Amino acid sequence: MATGDAILSVDDIVVRFDTAEGPITAVDDVSFKVRPGEFLSVIGPSGCGKSTLFNVIGGLLSEHEGVVSVAGETIDGPHKSIGMVFQEESTFPWRTVTDNVAFPLELIGAPRDKRIERARHFIKLVGLDGFENRYPGELSGGMRQRVSLARTLASEPKILLMDEPFAALDEQTRLLLGDKVLQIQQSLKQTTLLITHNITEAVQMSDRILVMTYRPGRVKRIVDIDLPRPRSSEIVTSAAFGRYVAEIWNDLREEASRGMQDEESHVLHHQGAAP
Amino acid sequence: MSDAVISSTRRIPLSVGPRVVGIAGLVAALLLAEFLIQAGIVNRFIVPPPSAVIVALYRIIVSEDVFGRFLRTAGECLVAGVLLTLFGVVGGVVMHRFKLLQQACETWVAAMAAAPLVLLYPLFLVVFGRNIWTIIMMGLLSGLPPTILKTIEGMSATRKVLINVGRSFNLTATQQFWKILFPAALPTIFVGVRLGLIFALINVVGTEFLINYGGLGALITDLAERYDLAGTYAAICFVILVSVVFFLTLEKVERWLRPVD
Amino acid sequence: MAETGRLERAAPSAPLIGPVALLRTAIILAVLAIWEFLAHSGWLYRDVVPSLLSIGRAIVDLLTHTEYYYNLGVTAGEIGMALLIGGGSGLVVGLILGGNRFLSKAYEPYLYYLGPTPKIIFLPICIMWFGVDSPSKIGLGTLSCFFPIALNVAAGMRQIDRVLIRVGRSFRASTLQMVTKIYVPAMRHPIINGVRLGFGFALIGVLLAETRMSNKGVGFQIMQADSTFDMPHMYAMLIVLFVAAIGANALIGRLGGLQDIKRS
Repeated sequence: MATGDAILSVDDIVVRFDTAEGPITAVDDVSFKVRPGEFLSVIGPSGCGKSTLFNVIGGLLSEHEGVVSVAGETIDGPHKSIGMVFQEESTFPWRTVTDNVAFPLELIGAPRDKRIERARHFIKLVGLDGFENRYPGELSGGMRQRVSLARTLASEPKILLMDEPFAALDEQTRLLLGDKVLQIQQSLKQTTLLITHNITEAVQMSDRILVMTYRPGRVKRIVDIDLPRPRSSEIVTSAAFGRYVAEIWNDLREEASRGMQDEESHVLHHQGAAP
Repeated sequence: MSDAVISSTRRIPLSVGPRVVGIAGLVAALLLAEFLIQAGIVNRFIVPPPSAVIVALYRIIVSEDVFGRFLRTAGECLVAGVLLTLFGVVGGVVMHRFKLLQQACETWVAAMAAAPLVLLYPLFLVVFGRNIWTIIMMGLLSGLPPTILKTIEGMSATRKVLINVGRSFNLTATQQFWKILFPAALPTIFVGVRLGLIFALINVVGTEFLINYGGLGALITDLAERYDLAGTYAAICFVILVSVVFFLTLEKVERWLRPVD
Repeated sequence: MAETGRLERAAPSAPLIGPVALLRTAIILAVLAIWEFLAHSGWLYRDVVPSLLSIGRAIVDLLTHTEYYYNLGVTAGEIGMALLIGGGSGLVVGLILGGNRFLSKAYEPYLYYLGPTPKIIFLPICIMWFGVDSPSKIGLGTLSCFFPIALNVAAGMRQIDRVLIRVGRSFRASTLQMVTKIYVPAMRHPIINGVRLGFGFALIGVLLAETRMSNKGVGFQIMQADSTFDMPHMYAMLIVLFVAAIGANALIGRLGGLQDIKRS
């Protein structure tokens, strides 16, 4: 795979934390590159450090070794070319949908009519036209995530960075929203980096999948997903899809069970079960 | 997991550190004030140097019968406190028992809690005279609404399941009240009593100050009228100290009463 | 079966004059009747309990003369300034303490324990520093309202949903933008509550100071009535004051709620 024209370059990232139980290495020597227009998923079990990686790439966590660069420029804090979509509910409850989506444009001082026009465009893109003047409290969880997505897209980032944005939604909503995100990504040719623990989601949407090990998180494998584009949620029924899922689950299973064992021993030790 | 990890790390916080910094900041501010006043930058006839205030504190304790005055104020607070506990808790229980009464009057009591009741003191001055009862009534009146409201709240918040337990044992209404409702409401009731006591203290001292009669509050007015600058500052500090200690004690008692929280 | 039971129970709230309104009216009438009885009984000294008519007349008299409005203006101005200075500094201090765990642990306990203390006793100091006129009242009002606002803002800061702050940072908002577009709107409820409390305390502080030492303002007017034993006017002023204070409190609360819907 040609890596020469990577738009995002993650090199030798190591993140260590001091916790009450001593120092831990959350992420250990992770390196990869993302090409323009590519959809790359990072998948791993809970505790593999993928959210930590998300924060490092997004520039919200600066205490790490290694370098993240966008189009050759090393990042030092949140970068204007990287847009983040968070896992938790992140819409501003006191702003309407339009004002939420227009937020990044407001920050750079765009004039009001321009802001509203651009916001309307992205609201339409995520399929929420008609809801411009509603408040997030009046919307469902899935709709609120779409607002968050539209808000990030409104800042027109070169790279879209998403941390399990559909984690709180039910399976059907997930699949449909995944469809939506795919459509958007394909029409905008948006470079996307998706952090997830859901294999189906990852295979459905990605060009490549990066599988991480359990803590300390390392790159276990990078899988090329050679399914035809454009894709939709129907693809989950194809045989090739099933094979990819099985392949990745094989890799993940080992890591996931290591994670479970670790948690169980953790609980045992902290309840003083041992004499 | 990573969110919690991120926020709890960086450095392992010493809980001693902040407290030391807090005290150090305070001491530094006092030293700065001392320096500025001694150097003449701040007029010493408006702000006495902290050293003079400390000396004055000792002086007024000795010569102004501060302890006696403290007892006086404490006595007034005690009477007001007992009365507001009695009337407040009973009032709250009665209002809870008679739902119609509660629906009619609770918002009135809430309005009273927000109203500047202490401004009635000129009225009480006329009705009771420049008298200990004016002071006690002001304390009682301002402490009553929060006690009533919290008592109602406590009694209403008893979990339905506990009431059902009582019914399943066929308890009479009286037994139900004394064995289930009231004990379950006690922690919240105590919060109300605590609030009431705090308001009572503030208003007792405030009224003493305003009508220049009574214990510690009146001491401040006395010293101010005598233009005893350092003494006035010292007396004010002493009163603040007393209220802080009172507040702390109430908190300790509350924590002792509800250890689980 | 259960459906009809529910329907039957729902009916009583429908009539306009419900039992609650009846009870309230009954209580009010009873109080007024006892009052009027006491007023005419001669048991209490002269005008300590004046007749309702004389109080009514005094209220009308009060509200139809410019003197009251002049004093009202003075007091309102003092309260306003106190809220501005005390509220403004409370907001800043609250933002700083709420935003920094270490500073909060170091200094917030002082605010917390100094809050519930009688501030009126600082009046001699305020007079020494600011003179006998309005500034000393403003000073006392400021001192009174600083604490509830600072404490509420600090607590509010800690309760902000952390993800909203990360959103702001991910969009590289400047500090000013973070404060005005994220922190303050996210804290609108604690801020409104703090302002409500602060208003109440500033009101009390300013008025008490006026009753003690001043030559204008509502507090001064009340003491004037007191010194001339003009009880009907004293009652009138207290009644008007309480209605205004409770009304303003409710208004602030209402404004806080309405703000949510208005923002578009």
